[in-house]
Amino acid sequence: MRGRAAANIAAAAFSLLAFLAWPRAVLAADPAAGMQKAQVCIACHGPDGSSVNPAVPSLAGQPAQFVATQLLMFREGKRKDAQMSPFAANLSNMDLSNIAAYFAAQNLTPPVYKTDPASAEAGPRLARQFNCVQCHGAALVGQQHIPRLAGQQFDYLRTQLRGFKASTRFDMDGQMTSAAQALSDADIELLANYLAGIK
Amino acid sequence: MRISKGWGQSGYGLARVTGALAAWLLITAAWAQTPPAAPAAPAAPPSWQQGRSAEQGTSTLHPFAPHFAGRPSSGLPLDKLKLPPGFKIEVWVEGVPEARSLALGDKGTVFVSNRNLSEVYAIVDRGGKREVKKLLAGLKAPNGVAFSKGTLFVAERHRITRYDGIEDRLDNPPEAKVVIDNLDPTSQPGHFWKFLAVGPDGKLYFNIGAPGNIVNPNYTQAAIHRVDPKTGVMETVALGVRNSVGFDWHPKTKQLWFTNHARDWVSDELPNDTLHRVTHKNMNFGYPFCHQGDFLDPEFGKGRTCKEFDAPALKLGPHIAPLGMRFYTGKMFPAEYHDNIFIAMHGSWNRTTKQGYNVMRVILDAKGGATMKPFLTGFLTDEKADPPMWGRPVDVLLMRDGAMLVSDDYNGIIYRISYGKK
Repeated sequence: MRGRAAANIAAAAFSLLAFLAWPRAVLAADPAAGMQKAQVCIACHGPDGSSVNPAVPSLAGQPAQFVATQLLMFREGKRKDAQMSPFAANLSNMDLSNIAAYFAAQNLTPPVYKTDPASAEAGPRLARQFNCVQCHGAALVGQQHIPRLAGQQFDYLRTQLRGFKASTRFDMDGQMTSAAQALSDADIELLANYLAGIK
Repeated sequence: MRISKGWGQSGYGLARVTGALAAWLLITAAWAQTPPAAPAAPAAPPSWQQGRSAEQGTSTLHPFAPHFAGRPSSGLPLDKLKLPPGFKIEVWVEGVPEARSLALGDKGTVFVSNRNLSEVYAIVDRGGKREVKKLLAGLKAPNGVAFSKGTLFVAERHRITRYDGIEDRLDNPPEAKVVIDNLDPTSQPGHFWKFLAVGPDGKLYFNIGAPGNIVNPNYTQAAIHRVDPKTGVMETVALGVRNSVGFDWHPKTKQLWFTNHARDWVSDELPNDTLHRVTHKNMNFGYPFCHQGDFLDPEFGKGRTCKEFDAPALKLGPHIAPLGMRFYTGKMFPAEYHDNIFIAMHGSWNRTTKQGYNVMRVILDAKGGATMKPFLTGFLTDEKADPPMWGRPVDVLLMRDGAMLVSDDYNGIIYRISYGKK
């Protein structure tokens, strides 16, 4: 028993040492530099990346790898948008990483959006049935290169799902296109309603 | 037409997925006649889950996507990388998005492909500075690059093209000339990104993978083929190969060796990914019926036996995802490394306890035996974490001085391994 406790303490001390000995990882992407670059973003994406515009996605609390990947896709012309493409065009790889680190570190302001009762009832079932939770996670907060859906803007979610379904939205690997093609228009409405109101 | 490019070693279960989708559409069509009452049938799962059993339904295992913008090496724990005594590793170049396959030009240009993106990069040393140039863009999953006699060959998912005299025209590359086209007539999901290498016979060798994790392939799929760049005539080299993303020829016997990815979603320990040797025509390595030479597929193996098929030269480990492999023919490494096979291990994702994410060396003995030892390790930092690693080797390339390059698509970095004082 005492041996195990000692081992635990040693392990904790070792993790702490490992953490202290690894400051470069923390410095890899620079959220402060990202914040400077992101000033132009918040005009549309809202304070600290919590959007107040139903058509514009929140970036606050999104996984860094997701934000960097999308910025790269805009820069490389794979994902296209009249507003976003010009902004992304001149960003360096380091800019992308820094901006992503900044938004990932922000807390998403809880949405004011109110999910209607029908969507609140159907949403969790649809999210399981159509495999949303498989990649976006049980809490739908995203992971690695996969975005957070919980509390995202309603119009934005609906537009993306419609775009994937119609194969007009850029899709790196076909996963979202095949997922969305199984959705009816009514399903899209219910899912977007549900997701937008998750606090 | 959707662009579908896979993640990692996952399979796209086209037949299964479309089957389920068709069934689902039939069900919904039937419901159109009568008001819906029962809960709907589940939608087709993401394609990388094809072949997953009901018991694995709550599994959280998933493929990993690269950091497409790359990550600066200054923020990575490079000090964790380990090599045998006397070897050293350094960052050779960074900022090469999704760096995948490597090829070396006659004049020293290193060509680098990517897979989810659509570019080929050229890396050149100019005036003491290493320069990363975007050489080709707008390609379809250009995973395969090979160089021979002044020409760069590129394998996209649907065709193989040539760029003659490329090293004299890096700032103004010539138009692609097609060697062979229509390799991907359906444009459906599947293992259709290609590895490409020039054989001792001057022909271009490439894979066409299986169209899903565990499905019946058509007669050009789950195979290695070759095409004569002079005539465009294609021949099959080996069958029953689920997906090979690395091959090379033994420097002495000139026989083809290749790595192969076995199916997912059987278990943590089965089946092994494999290393194979091609000794004659019409060899069949078993997919989808038999894996690793001695493991019948739980579904497709019924009524079959592994004796019908050719066995691998070596089992490499379950889900370890062997990609690029090369024989060491340089002079820099010690004698015991000469003619070893170096293999870049890109996985594993489909395993609860992760392994791999390293470069292994395979030592061949005179009797045809093979043993495997770790060479470059340290990318895997927590075998239970998600993600468990901070870098993923994809390909290895020998430089003219005998040093070895290793590409890492997760970070967009290429490392250089050298021995001694060089």
